[in-house]
Amino acid sequence: MKLVKWTRRGVCAAVGAVMIAGSLALPAVAQTPPGVLIVGQIAEPKSLDPAAVTAVNDFRIVVNLYEGLTRYRPGTLEVEPALAESWTISDDGTEYTFKLRPGVKFHDGTNFDAEAVKFNFDRMLDENHPHHDTGPFPLSFFFSAIEKTEVVDDQTVRFTLNAPYAPFLSNLAYPTGLMVSPAAVKEFGADFGRHPSGTGPFTFAEWRSNEAVVVERNADYWGDMAGSDVVVFRPITDANTRVAEMLAGGIDLMVEVPPTSLSQFKGDGFEVAQQAGPHVWFLILNAKEGPFSDVRVRQAANYAINKAAIVNDVLEGTAEVAAGPTPPAFAWAYNDELEPYPYDPDKARALLADAGAEGAELTFYVTEGGSGMLDPIAMGTAIQADLAAVGLKVNIETYEWNTFLGEVNPGLEGKADMAEMAWMTNDPDTLPYLALRTEAWPDQGGFNSGYYSNPKVDELLESARTAVDQDERARLYKEMQAIVQEEAPWVFVANWKQNAVTSDRVQGFALEPSFLLHLQGVTKD
Amino acid sequence: MPFIQLLFRNRLAAMGAVVLTVILLLVLLTPLLPLPDPDVTATADRFQTPFSPGHLLGTDHLGRDQLSRLLHGTRLSLAVGIAAAAIAGFVGSAIGIIAGYFGGRVDNMIMRGVDMLMAFPYILLALAIVAALGPGLMNALIAVAAVNVPFFARNIRGITVGLAEREFIDAARLAGMGHTRIILSELLPNVLPVIIIAMSTTVGWMILETAGLSFLGLGSQPPQADLGSMLGEARSALISHPFTSVVPGVMIFLIVMSINLLGDGVRDALDPRLRSGALSRPRATTLVQRNDPVPAATEDLLAIQDLQTQFHAGNRVYKAVGGVSLSVSPGECLGLIGESGSGKSVTALSVMGLVASPPGVITGGAVRFRGDDLIGAPYETLRRKRGDRVAYIFQDPLATLHPLYTVGDQLIEAIQSHHAVSRSAARDKAIRLFKAVRIPNAESRVGNYPHEMSGGMRQRVGIAMALANDPDVIIADEPTTALDVTVQAQILALLDDLRRDRGLAIIFITHDFGVVGQLCDRVAVMYAGRIVEQGPTQSVLETPAHPYTKRLIACVPELGRGRRELAAIPGLPPSVEALPPGCAFAPRCTKAQDDCRSGQIALTGSYPRAVRCLHPEEAIG
Amino acid sequence: MASYILKRLLSAIPVLLGITVIVFLIMAMIPGDPATAILGAYATPENVEKLNRSLGLDAPLVQRYLIWLGNMLTGDFGRSYSLNRPVLDEITERFSATLILAGVSFVLCSVMGILAGVVSAARQYGLADKAITFTVLIGISVPSFFLGMMMILLFAVRLKWLPVSGMYAIYGGGDLWDLLKHLVMPALALSAVATGVIARLSRSAMLEVLRQDYIRTARAKGVPERRVIMGHALRSAMVSIIPVLGIQAGFVLSGSVFIEIVFQWPGVGRMLVNAILKRDLLLVQGGVVFVAACYVLFNIMVDVAQSLLDPRIKT
Repeated sequence: MKLVKWTRRGVCAAVGAVMIAGSLALPAVAQTPPGVLIVGQIAEPKSLDPAAVTAVNDFRIVVNLYEGLTRYRPGTLEVEPALAESWTISDDGTEYTFKLRPGVKFHDGTNFDAEAVKFNFDRMLDENHPHHDTGPFPLSFFFSAIEKTEVVDDQTVRFTLNAPYAPFLSNLAYPTGLMVSPAAVKEFGADFGRHPSGTGPFTFAEWRSNEAVVVERNADYWGDMAGSDVVVFRPITDANTRVAEMLAGGIDLMVEVPPTSLSQFKGDGFEVAQQAGPHVWFLILNAKEGPFSDVRVRQAANYAINKAAIVNDVLEGTAEVAAGPTPPAFAWAYNDELEPYPYDPDKARALLADAGAEGAELTFYVTEGGSGMLDPIAMGTAIQADLAAVGLKVNIETYEWNTFLGEVNPGLEGKADMAEMAWMTNDPDTLPYLALRTEAWPDQGGFNSGYYSNPKVDELLESARTAVDQDERARLYKEMQAIVQEEAPWVFVANWKQNAVTSDRVQGFALEPSFLLHLQGVTKD
Repeated sequence: MPFIQLLFRNRLAAMGAVVLTVILLLVLLTPLLPLPDPDVTATADRFQTPFSPGHLLGTDHLGRDQLSRLLHGTRLSLAVGIAAAAIAGFVGSAIGIIAGYFGGRVDNMIMRGVDMLMAFPYILLALAIVAALGPGLMNALIAVAAVNVPFFARNIRGITVGLAEREFIDAARLAGMGHTRIILSELLPNVLPVIIIAMSTTVGWMILETAGLSFLGLGSQPPQADLGSMLGEARSALISHPFTSVVPGVMIFLIVMSINLLGDGVRDALDPRLRSGALSRPRATTLVQRNDPVPAATEDLLAIQDLQTQFHAGNRVYKAVGGVSLSVSPGECLGLIGESGSGKSVTALSVMGLVASPPGVITGGAVRFRGDDLIGAPYETLRRKRGDRVAYIFQDPLATLHPLYTVGDQLIEAIQSHHAVSRSAARDKAIRLFKAVRIPNAESRVGNYPHEMSGGMRQRVGIAMALANDPDVIIADEPTTALDVTVQAQILALLDDLRRDRGLAIIFITHDFGVVGQLCDRVAVMYAGRIVEQGPTQSVLETPAHPYTKRLIACVPELGRGRRELAAIPGLPPSVEALPPGCAFAPRCTKAQDDCRSGQIALTGSYPRAVRCLHPEEAIG
Repeated sequence: MASYILKRLLSAIPVLLGITVIVFLIMAMIPGDPATAILGAYATPENVEKLNRSLGLDAPLVQRYLIWLGNMLTGDFGRSYSLNRPVLDEITERFSATLILAGVSFVLCSVMGILAGVVSAARQYGLADKAITFTVLIGISVPSFFLGMMMILLFAVRLKWLPVSGMYAIYGGGDLWDLLKHLVMPALALSAVATGVIARLSRSAMLEVLRQDYIRTARAKGVPERRVIMGHALRSAMVSIIPVLGIQAGFVLSGSVFIEIVFQWPGVGRMLVNAILKRDLLLVQGGVVFVAACYVLFNIMVDVAQSLLDPRIKT
C-alpha cells in the first residue's frame, strides 16, 4: 500500500532530522565565553533601585552597581569606609559627620558629592521631597533615626539623629543605604529602578524582562577594576531548572542550591561555597491566646521538635541548630553560653501535661517559600510530625509568600497558633527590636506577630540600641537572649549557612556573611 | 452481543478495565493493609530507594513510606478527581441542557458567558479561585471543577440542541408536559450516557490539574498525601532522587491511561454501529481469503464467477453472496434484481474490491475483466482499473458525492487519477461530460457543491463521473431509486443512449422490474445471496419460472392495466447468517414442498435461461 | 466573507467586555493586597493601609472598574505594582515570547496530532495504531512540568544537545537558529497533551469519515489511497477537528504557564501567575485581557477557517 511506504519514509525523515538537529546542536551548547560571568538568580529582580528593594535576591545585583558610605569588611559584618573615607561621631552619639571620597563619579558621569548624599536620604525620608514618589521605600525605617541631613561642604555631609542609634553605621552599609545618582532619578523618575546609576564596580547595560540583567565592568571605577568584563544575572525561578543549568554549564555561579541537589556538585568541575550568616529561622508562637499563652507549652514545643534532624536531614547540613533569637554570626553580641533546647519529647510531654495542654489542636501557618525560608513546607511537615508525636494536633495552612506575610504580619490573633518565619539582618538590634518588643506588636507597626511581651526585654533592647559602647551593647543583648530563650516566644530552629556553587572556571569567589554577593573580585577564564 | 463481551473484544479497553479495577481494589483495601502510617516522618531514613527493607517503594524526603503514601494519595486523588468531575459534569450539563433546550436568547446569553470563561486562561482562573478561597485540597477541587464547567456546558449544549429539535420532544410539548418534566424525563435520559462518558474521561484530567495546582503550590495541605502534592513535593529532589517523582508519576499515568482506554472502549461498545463491525475503517480493497481453486478465464468482457463474499463480525459469518456467476458483453445491459439484503449490491461492490473490509471478506470465486482476475489483484492494478475500465454509479448521490468538494473538482479528480492531463483540460472535459449528461449551464454548474444541486442533477453528476474515463463497464447500483418518476425516466433514457452510443456494458442493479424492463437485455434475480433465476428480460418478465420472480413481478404496477392487486411478499428474506438448508425462499413460498427444504438446489436450464427451483412456475428448456 | 468576519469581530466585543468584568471581579474577590507585595517582608499594617490608599484601592468597586476600563480604552493599562513599570510595556515585551512558544506548540500539536490520528485510523488496530495510542496516552497523562524537566535532564544535562532554558543564548546568540534550539524542548513539552487530545479526536473523526459513502465513491473512481486518506477523508474529518483546535489553542496558551516556569521562558504566562500571587491587580487584569483577546481572535480565525472549509456553513 502506498501509505505504508509513505509513512515509513516520513518516520525515517523525522528520525534523520532529529539526529541532524542533535548533532548540529552540539557546538551550540558550547561553554559560556570567558570574562562573562553568568549568575543564576532565584527570581527576577523587582527593581534595581536599592532604596526600593527588600529581597536578598535583588540585593545581590544592586551591591555590584552601587556603593554606600560604608560597607562590610570582606568576610565579616564589621563596617569599613566605602564612599565615605572617614567619619566622626559626636559624643552623645547623635551627630555623624562623613568625609566623602573625592573624585568619585556616578555611572552617568555626574559627581558623587555631599549634595548627592543628601538627595538620597531626603528622597527616602522626606515625604515632601520632589522625588519621594519614586518609592515606596519599605526599608526607610533603617534610617528613621535621621532627623536631618546637611551638606557641610562638597565632600562633607552631616547626619543629625533624633537619638543615639548604634546600628546606624551598619545600616549605611546595608543595600538600603546605597547611593544612587540624583541626576538619574530626576531623569527617569519612577522608572529609575530600570535605569540604575550608581558608583559601583559595574555599570548597568540592559535588563531583558525575565531573561537577564546585564552589567559591565565600570572602566572609570575609583577602586580596583572588576575581574569580569560582563556579569549576567539570570532569573531562574525553578530550582530544578537552575540546578540543571548549572550542571549543563549554562550558568557559572548559582546561589541557594537546594539541599537535596548539593550532592550533584560534589564531583569535579564544581566548587561549593558555604558561609554562615546572620539568619535565624523560627516559629512565631501566639503568646496572646490559646495553648501557647502558657510558657510551658511554648517550651514543650521547643523540646518536642527535633531540630537536629531538620538541619542535618531535611536541610542536609546547610544550617545549624539555633539556640536563641540572635544568630551566632553576630559573634560579638552572641551569647555562646546558651545551649539549644535539646530534643526531648518526654520532657515536652511532661510540660504539656503540667500545662494541661495535651492533645491541643493548633493552626500552623506555613509558607511555600520566601526570603530565607529555606525549605519551609518540608520543615513545617517535619515539625508537624514531631508535635504530633507528643500529642499536639497541628493543622497546616500553606500560603504563598506574599499572602503569608499579609496573614502573619498583622498578627496571629484569632487565626493561628504558630507561623514560620525567618529573618536575615545586618545588626543584632534589628530582629529583636522589631519582633520581640511590646511596642512592636502589629497594631503599633512592628512585627511581633506572636504578642510576646516582657518589660525587661523591652528595656534591654532600648538600652542596647542607644548604647554607644559595643561591649555594653553585647552585654545587654546577651542578657536579652537568655531571657528570651527561657520564655520561648518562638521555637528557635535553624541558622542558615548560605551556599553557592561555582564552576571550576570561576576564581576568586567568596560568600559574605552579609548575604550580599560582591562579584568585583571574581574572574572567569 | 452482551456489552461486557463487546467491551472486552477491545483488548486495550480490557487492559484499562483490569488496571483500573486493580487500582480501585488496592485503594479500597488501603485502610486494611498492614501499611506504615503515611504521615510519620523519619528524616534520617529519607530517600531510601525502592525495594529497601521495610519500604517497598522507598521513602520520601521526610523518610515517610512511599507505598503507604502512594496508596493513601491515590485514594484521595481518585476521590478528588471523581468529585471534581461529578461537580463539573453536573453543573456544566445543567447549564448546557438549559441553554440547548430553551435556545434563543437564553442560549445566547449562557453561551456568551461560557465563551468568556473559556477565553480566560483556565489555569489562571483556577489559580485565582484558589487564591480567593484560600489554600486546601477542597478549594483546589472547587477551582478545578469550576474551570471545567464551561467545557461540559459547551459539549452538552451541542448534543441537547440536536435532541431538542427531534420529534419526541415536540410530541412531549404537544402533550402538555412542563419544561422541567420534558428535560428530566425526555431529554436527560438521552444525554446521560454522553455526560457519564465525558465525566469518566475527565477524572484523569482532573487529577492532572490538581497536580498542576500542586506544582504552583496550591494543592493539599501537609501532611496529607495526594498524587499531585506527592509529585509537587518530590520535584525538589527530582534530579538527585528521581524515584520519588517517578512513583506518583507512574500512578497518575496508570490511572489516566486506564480511564481513557476504558472510556474509549465503553463509548465504542455503546455505539450501535460497532455491533455490526462497522466502526472499523474500511481498507482500500476488500480482504480476499480464497481457499478453493479459482475458476478458469472466459471470453466475456466482465465475468463474475462463483463469487462468494462474506461479512465476518466477531465469530459470526454472514454469507452475503453465496456463489454468484454473471457476465456481460460490450453494449449489453444486465439487470440484477432483488429485495434489499439479497446481496446484489455486495455482488456489485465485490467486482472492484469495494466491499467495506472489515467486515467484508471475499472467500471464493473470481471476477474477470477481459480474462484477468480482479479478486486478489494487487491494489495498484485494481486502482488503475477502478473508474477507468469499470466505473460505478451509486444510489443516493448526496451521500456518495463528497460534500466539501465542488462537483467539478470531483470530476476533474476522476479524470486526473487516470490521465496525466492538465487541470484546465480536465475541466474542459468535465464540462463536456456535464453537457453529455444534459446538465444545463454546465460551465457554471461545475463550480457547485453537491448540496447546491437537486437530486436529479446530482445523479447526473454521478453518471458523468462514471463516464469520465470512457469505461468499458458501468455498474449502476440503484441509480434512480431516490428520484421521482420523470427524472428517473430521463436518467434511464440517458443511460440507454450512452450504452448504444459508446458500446458500454452496464450492470444495472435495482429492485424494480419496471426499470429492468425499460433498460436491460438480460436479467438475473437474486435472493439470499444467490441467483435464483436468469434469462433475457422479455422471457423472464413474461414467463417467470421461480415463484419468487413471479411474486416480484407482481409487485410492479403496470400502466394502463388499471387497479391490480399489488401483492407484497409475506415474510422477510432470511438472514444470511443462518440460511435454511435447501431453497432459501421455501419458508415464504406457497408452493414449497418437503424436498425444497433439504439439500443444495442447483441452477438448472440452458443458457441464457436458468432457474434454481425444484417446482418452477414454468418449465424452462 | 468580509462581512462575516466583521460580524464576528463585532460580536467579540461584548465577550471581551464580559471578560474585563470577570477578571476585575475575581481580582477584587481575592483577599490580600498589592501593598504587602510591594513592601515585602517589612510590610506593617499601617504602611500597607497608607500605600493602598495612595494606589486608589479604597475607592468603590464600580468606580475603580470604570476608571480602569476607561484608561485601558485610551491605551493606558496602568502601572504594575510588583514590577514597577507600565503594564503595557511589560506585556508587549513578553507577549511575543508567549506567542512564539504557544504558536509553535500549537502548530506542532496540530500537525503531529492530526498526522498521528490519520496514521492511527488508516491502520486501525495495527501496530502503528497501538504504538500511537500508547504514546498519545503517555502524552496526555504525564504532567507537562514533569515531562519538561525530564527532557531537560536527558537532552540538556546528559546529552548536552540543547540548551536547558531561556529563549535565547544569554550572551551572544539571538538569531533564529538560537531561538529554535531553545524552542525545541518547551514546544514539545507544551504540545504533548494537546497532541494527544487532537490525535485521539482525529483518529475517531477519520474512522467516522472513512465509513462514509463518498469515500467509497472516491475509491471507486480510482483515486490513489493516499489521496483518499489525506484528501477526501482528512478534509471531512477536519470539519470536526477544527473546532477542537480552537479549544486546544486555549489549553496550549494556558499550559504555557507551567512550561514557562520550567524552561524559564520569558513569557506572559509565568508573569501572570506571579502577578496573581502578588495581587498585582492591574498586571493581571491587563494580561488576562490580552490573552483572552488573543484566544477570542484565534477562535474567530478558526470559525472563518471552518466556513472556508465547509461550504454548507452559511456565512
